[in-house]
This record gives sequence, C-alpha cells and structure tokens, in this order.
Amino acid sequence: MQYEAYAIDTAPGRGRPEAAQKIDIKLRINGSEHALAVDSRTTLLDALRDRLGLTGSKKGCDHGQCGACTVLVNGRRINSCLTLAAMHEGDEITTIEGLAQDSALHSVQLAFIEHDAFQCGYCTSGQICSAVALLKEDHARTDDEIREWMSGNLCRCGAYTNIVAAIREAREKKAAAL
Amino acid sequence: MSTELKPHAIGQPLSRVDGRLKVTGAARYPAEFRPPNLACGFLVGSTIAKGAIRSIDVTTAEKAPGVLAVLTHQNVPKLTEPPNAKDSGGIRIEERIPFSDAKINYAGQYIAVIVATTFEEARYAAGLLRVDYEVERFALTKEDAPDTAKQPEESIGEKLQQRKGEIAAALAKPDLVKIEETYSTPTETHNPMECSATIAEWPDAQHLVLYDATQYVKGAQAVVAQAFNLPRENVRIICPFVGGAFGCKGPVWPHTIAAAMAALVVKRPVRIEVTRQLMFSGTGHRPPTFQTIALAASRDGKLQAIRHKSEMLTSPVGAWVEACGIGSTNVLYDAPAIEFSHTVYTVNVSQPSFMRAPGECPGTYAAECAMDELAYALGMDPLQLRLVNDSPNHPLKGVPWSTKHLRECYEVGAERFGWNKRQHAPGSMKDGRLSIGWGMATATYPAKKWDADVHIQLHAGGKTIVKCASHDLGTGAYTAFTQISADAIGVPVEDVVFELGSSDFPYGPVAGGSNSTATVGSAIVAAAQKLHEKLAGLALADKESPLAGAEAKKIALVGARRLGDGSKSVSFDDILHGAGLKSIEAQGGIKEEENKKLGFQSFGAHFCEVNVDPELLSVRVSRFVSVMDCGRVINPKTGGSQILGGVVMGIGMALEEHTVYDRQTGLPATRNLADYHVPVNADIPAIEVHFVGEPDFAFNPMGSRGMGEIGITGAAAAVANAVFHATGKRVRDLPITLDKLLV
Repeated sequence: MQYEAYAIDTAPGRGRPEAAQKIDIKLRINGSEHALAVDSRTTLLDALRDRLGLTGSKKGCDHGQCGACTVLVNGRRINSCLTLAAMHEGDEITTIEGLAQDSALHSVQLAFIEHDAFQCGYCTSGQICSAVALLKEDHARTDDEIREWMSGNLCRCGAYTNIVAAIREAREKKAAAL
Repeated sequence: MSTELKPHAIGQPLSRVDGRLKVTGAARYPAEFRPPNLACGFLVGSTIAKGAIRSIDVTTAEKAPGVLAVLTHQNVPKLTEPPNAKDSGGIRIEERIPFSDAKINYAGQYIAVIVATTFEEARYAAGLLRVDYEVERFALTKEDAPDTAKQPEESIGEKLQQRKGEIAAALAKPDLVKIEETYSTPTETHNPMECSATIAEWPDAQHLVLYDATQYVKGAQAVVAQAFNLPRENVRIICPFVGGAFGCKGPVWPHTIAAAMAALVVKRPVRIEVTRQLMFSGTGHRPPTFQTIALAASRDGKLQAIRHKSEMLTSPVGAWVEACGIGSTNVLYDAPAIEFSHTVYTVNVSQPSFMRAPGECPGTYAAECAMDELAYALGMDPLQLRLVNDSPNHPLKGVPWSTKHLRECYEVGAERFGWNKRQHAPGSMKDGRLSIGWGMATATYPAKKWDADVHIQLHAGGKTIVKCASHDLGTGAYTAFTQISADAIGVPVEDVVFELGSSDFPYGPVAGGSNSTATVGSAIVAAAQKLHEKLAGLALADKESPLAGAEAKKIALVGARRLGDGSKSVSFDDILHGAGLKSIEAQGGIKEEENKKLGFQSFGAHFCEVNVDPELLSVRVSRFVSVMDCGRVINPKTGGSQILGGVVMGIGMALEEHTVYDRQTGLPATRNLADYHVPVNADIPAIEVHFVGEPDFAFNPMGSRGMGEIGITGAAAAVANAVFHATGKRVRDLPITLDKLLV
C-alpha cells in the first residue's frame, strides 16, 4: 500500500522546488538595519532566531496557535511564525530584545518580574510584546478586557492570574505617569 | 539529618533570580545554542499505526537542495548498546531505539529524519518521501485489545495490587450507605510551550555534546552513553533553561537519539526540534484511565470500605502504568477494608509516560468525585464528610504522618471561600439566570527526596558559586536553591550564584515527583556543613584567629559570613585571609533513605465555583480557592505560582483537555493547540492560594515538601463536583464538555 509520509506539517510548496529562492532583504529590527540573504520560505520567526541570533522570540507551535513568537511590526502585534521574512522590508520590527531602553527594563517587563507573571519563561516574550501593544491600544481597561485580549498568548505553566496583575499594574503606572 | 535550618532568605517572596533573563529574551533554551556549522534535522512520522515499512523511496528527497542525509531504518548507524541498556540509570520509557527495525508500533513513530543545511530545506524534503507499508489491524482502545490485559505487581517501586481487610465482606455489610461508579479520564498531552529539542555535536568520534531540553541531565547522559556505548563522562548534556515540561522531558525520547545519530552521519552538529504536532506522539502523554470506585460508609460518614479498580492503556514499546490507586485511595482516607488494583492494556498508541502527578492526578479526580457522590448519598455536606474521615495515619502502612494539617486547609479554605453559605441541593444556587455550583475536593501528593550532591565555591569577599546538575523547569528552582544556599552557607542571598542544568555538575536527580527542592536543598545543607568544617579547620590551625584553641565541636555559623564558638567569632573572609586563600571549595550530598516510622505527604483543599448557562450549558469557573500544607514554603511567590499552575492545568483537565485519536489512522487527531484545548487567559478566574501548616523537619532541614504537583491533584474533582452542584448532572467522563451536559 502506497502512502505519503506523515507530512502534515512538512510540505509548503511541495512539488514546486522552484518556489524556493534566495532573496536579499533588509530588515529593520529594534532600530538597527540587517541585510541578509534568505530562503524565500523563511518565516520572520526563523529569520530572527536562526539568522540574526534574536532567540528571544520563541517557537511554540510554528503555526500561529500559541503566541510565543509575538513581535511588534509597526506597533502591531503579530505572530512572527505566520509571516515570511521577505514581506517585512521597510517595516519597523520590535522584538523582546528591543523593549528595554539601554539597561532600564520596560514597565511591563518590571511588572512581570514583580508579579511572577511567568514560570518557565518560554511564552513570556510573546506575552510581554502583546501586553505592550495592548496598553498602547487601550485594550487593558479592566481585568476582563485584559483576559480576553491576552487570550492569544498561551501559558501552559498557568501564570494567567499573575499576567493580569502585571498588566494591570503597568496600566496604572502608565496612567499615573500621564 | 538533625539540623534545622534557620530561615533568613528562606520564606521571603524573592522575585525570580532568573527573571531579568526571562523578560528580556536572554535566557537561552537548548535549541537556541548555535555551534558552528549547525545543520537541521526534520523528523518524519509513520502514517500507519501498526505494520511494517516495506520500503521508503528516498531518492527524490536525497536530491533536494541542501539535503545532507536521509536517515531511515535502512541506513542509520547500528547502535552497539549493551543488553542491560534499560538499566542505564536514566529513564528510557520508550524502550525501542528509533529506526532499529522496519516494524511500526504506533502512528507517528519516527520512520526517517531528513538532515539539511537549513530548516526550510529539511522540512521541504520531508514531504518528498514515499513509503510503502505492510498495514496491519491496530488497536486503539481496551475493547480493541481485551487479550492484552495484564496486572503488573509493581511500577516504579510501588505495589500496584494491594488490600487491607476483607473488602468483599465489608462492602456487603448491611446498614451501610454505598456508591459504586466508573470514572474515565482521556488521553492528555503535556504540551509545554517549548517543544522538545536536541542539538547533537560530536567533537570527535568518542565524545558527544547534547544541548537537550530535559528534566534530567544526568539521566540523559546515562541513557545516551549506554545507547552509543560510550563512557558516561564522554557525553555532556547542557540545559540551563527548560521551557516547561510537566514530565514529558524526564525520559530520553527517540528524537534525542536520532539527533546524535544524524550528527554522527553528517559529521556536523544537528538540531532536531520536535514539531508541536509530533509532541502528541513523540514525547509521552497521560494515558486514558477507567476507574471504578466503590465506597461504603456508616450513617455518620465514617468510611468502612474503599475499593478502587483502575484500568489504563500503554503502548507496545514500553511498560508505563498510570497508577491511579497510588497516591489517592491509598493515602486519602482510612477504612477497615481497602483494596486497589491496576489492569493495563496494550494498544497501538505512542508511549504514555509520567505527566504532572502521574497516578495521583486521575486517581484523586475519581476518588474525590466518588466522595462527593457518597456525601450526597448520605445527605451530608461534602466538606463534613472529609472532616469525618481525616486520618492521622497512613491508611495502608499504619504509620503516622510526619505533619498533617489537612483540617486547617479545609477550615481556612471554607472560610475564605464562604462555604458555609452553600445550599446543599444541586441547582439551588443562582446568580441571575446562571446556575451556580460550589464544589470542593482534597489534594494530596507524597513528599519525595532522592540522591544529590552539591559543590560550593566561596570566594573571599565575593560571590559564592553553588552547583548541582539539577533543573529549573519554571518551578523557581534557581531562586529557591539560591535562598537555601544563602541560609545554609551563611551568606547574603545576593552573593549566591546558583548554577544548574549541566551534566558537568555534581549529581542531581530527575526534576520529577516534586522532589527537587527537598533533595537538592538537603544536599546544599550537607555541602554547607562540609564547607563550615573546612573553614573551622583553617581557623583552628591559625594561631592568630580569634577561634584559635576553640573546641571544634562548638564551632558553628553565628551570622552572615561568620563562624563562632559561642563566645568568639571570625568572618569567613578573615579565615581565608589568615590561611592565605582567595577561595575555598567543598562538596557534600545526601542519599535517599526510607523512613519506616513516618509517612511524608502533603495535603490541601480546593474550593471551586462554576457558573453554568442554563440554555447554552457552557461552564465557566468563576472562583477558586486552594489551601495547601506543604511544610515550610521556601518562597511564597514562586511556590504560590506552582500551585496556581497546577490548578490551571486541573481546570483544563476538567473542562477542556482531550487527545482524540483518529479511528481510521490511529494518529492523534487533535495534534495542535487549536484542537487540543488548554486553558487560555480568559478561561481562568481569580485564584486564591494559601499555605498553612508547619515546617516538616523530620523530612529535611528546610522543613519543606514539594509543590510542583499537588496543585493539580483534586483540582479537576473540585470543578466536576461544582458542575454537579450547579446542574444536578454527574458527568463521570472528562472533559466535561457541553455535549455531555446536554444528554
């Protein structure tokens, strides 16, 4: 009996090797420009992790279901595993490595430490990037709103209640500073 | 050990010492190391559940751009492991070496690994394989495989078939209130956020370095060394951070051996990351369980008989038993007659393994639902039934518990939750149009302590470096060990640098069974005593020292960086200065020993509120209170998080989690995080965690007991009991989804 291999997650462009080409791109990440030649199939996440050494963005599922790879593109949070690196020339990309100013942590990073809003730390970069965007969009006005808008970022360690507390505190500090 | 460690740093809610690394993305997980010339391996799994590979056509894949090698059973390096490889000292729960023959035992079993210069190339080429299988009929359920039933005597040192008293006679007695029901739990998959991954690098033909996501660096070292027939010290395992594990990174799974094979073949370092889809078949799961519990009690609620028959599934490639009776009905309550048994069936699914509170978790779910049913049969408040049956002794061993404050857990929890306002009748409490349900359950988990050694290097006027081949899975081990080191050695917490996650360090056990803090903490105390003895020796030998001529036995830690004999004292730094040393080292450890006079066990109580929409039958957990007695809490902030996480996973178990297998192919149909539901932020309400009790110094010098697993025990039962209270429907098959409430 002939079967295909178990290739459910294996084969974008299968049978079309011509789909793969090397292309030269320039990415603007955390304020710096990076020129690189990538395989056209390279996701933004793999370009960050494998080509640029920015491993703070995490690969939790590689198909947009967990949020661990969340980065900010022009201030909007996106799953970097669901977009190709070649599509982001000219965009302003911010990863977890770009949130602290010099050595001063972002208020959301500080609040995450204070409230123990993570355990293993693997979802944390994505949670923090989402939280930063959420606060900017004013989508963190109540605990229920935080819960709803943060539900694209899974945390298997179950730090959710502490994530809500951290974002609440960052919101309050932001409001007090205004 | 008689020492009782005086707490200074211990007990403080210190923020994680690795917190900054984790919130800046700087913490490096194993797959993120970048040895030069790193190639990428991509795993391909079988699409059939049973049979054999007749042939694999690799010609197209081999010619694809960037491909360095295609490894299958036909060309992998043949391992020359010795016949006793199973007893390597590590954990290889899937006993079969990958690619060892053409036989297929379960769907998803690795049949090939493609190695290419990049991930994109390897993944593309994986889609080009053509496989010809000999397909056989396969079994997925116990009904498919009745002839495979076995009743093993033991599993990981626990006796699986036990009884006390005459159970049949006890259950047949008149005038008792009885219930007997069957509860089932589905296959559940760990799904830590970090998928398992290994980077393998051979510096030469006799040395192997693995950057491996593992809960057991020394175990991985032992298993891999055996498999490749290398001296153990020739294999190094590096794993400073683990992105969650919950048990699935304890054993060595086939991908780790495959990575080492691939690196050997292509003569380059190779990284293999298990895809999220393959995490459902390649790194273990909690097998489904079917538990029939019979309880009989006198009218006052006193239990007279407990019978717990458990059935579960395992795979053809290993022998895991999900021991539901161990850690639930054998420890929760006493009765004159207790019997539990385990029957395991072998089916064509991937190898099950330990997942957070293996045995205890499904066991306490069933047992605590049965207690709720008994309470209703008696017409008694469910909490009152637990109070009546609180026992000072281990029910089977008969020995007293070292410390037990379960009653306090019940009382504090009931008070915080407002349990006394509960109306007993199901469906009687409302919030507007919503039905409200209040349920509770007991939590319990044994306190375990194994072997460990710790090395300390104290620098004059500087940092103290403490090392153990232990692990931080997100448990807060780095932080707890730092706090214990500070108090045991007698240095400020900010002067301690704790290093773990390398097989180069002294022995640490698997980060499993909630043992790490008790085990490694005890070893830290032992090593610190050695350090103090050495420092005292130096002081006694130094004629200029204030302690010159002091009685050696009287010298002890008297303050931060200070030894004294009760009247005079001297600082560590002055001792080292006097001896002309810049630093001093010491190593010490502990060995597991059985205590036949006491039982060591943690207990707790969960209280849960759900609301149920009467038309949609959607269930939401709206409040949760957990009170735990885990001895002294080393760090209430990170310890509290451990309990929170257990409760969240328990809510997931009760309402969402279910790995469904496809009857046609045998593959897990829900092999992704959109189909395998885990709780998201919006599913989780405010959860209150409280700790009660006293330090358990009979257990270890810190007085602490483990916290990694107790939070999940009983949690699903508290939810299920709340759903019954809200709806009057007793769903005995997890997860409680709305289709089951509609019936």
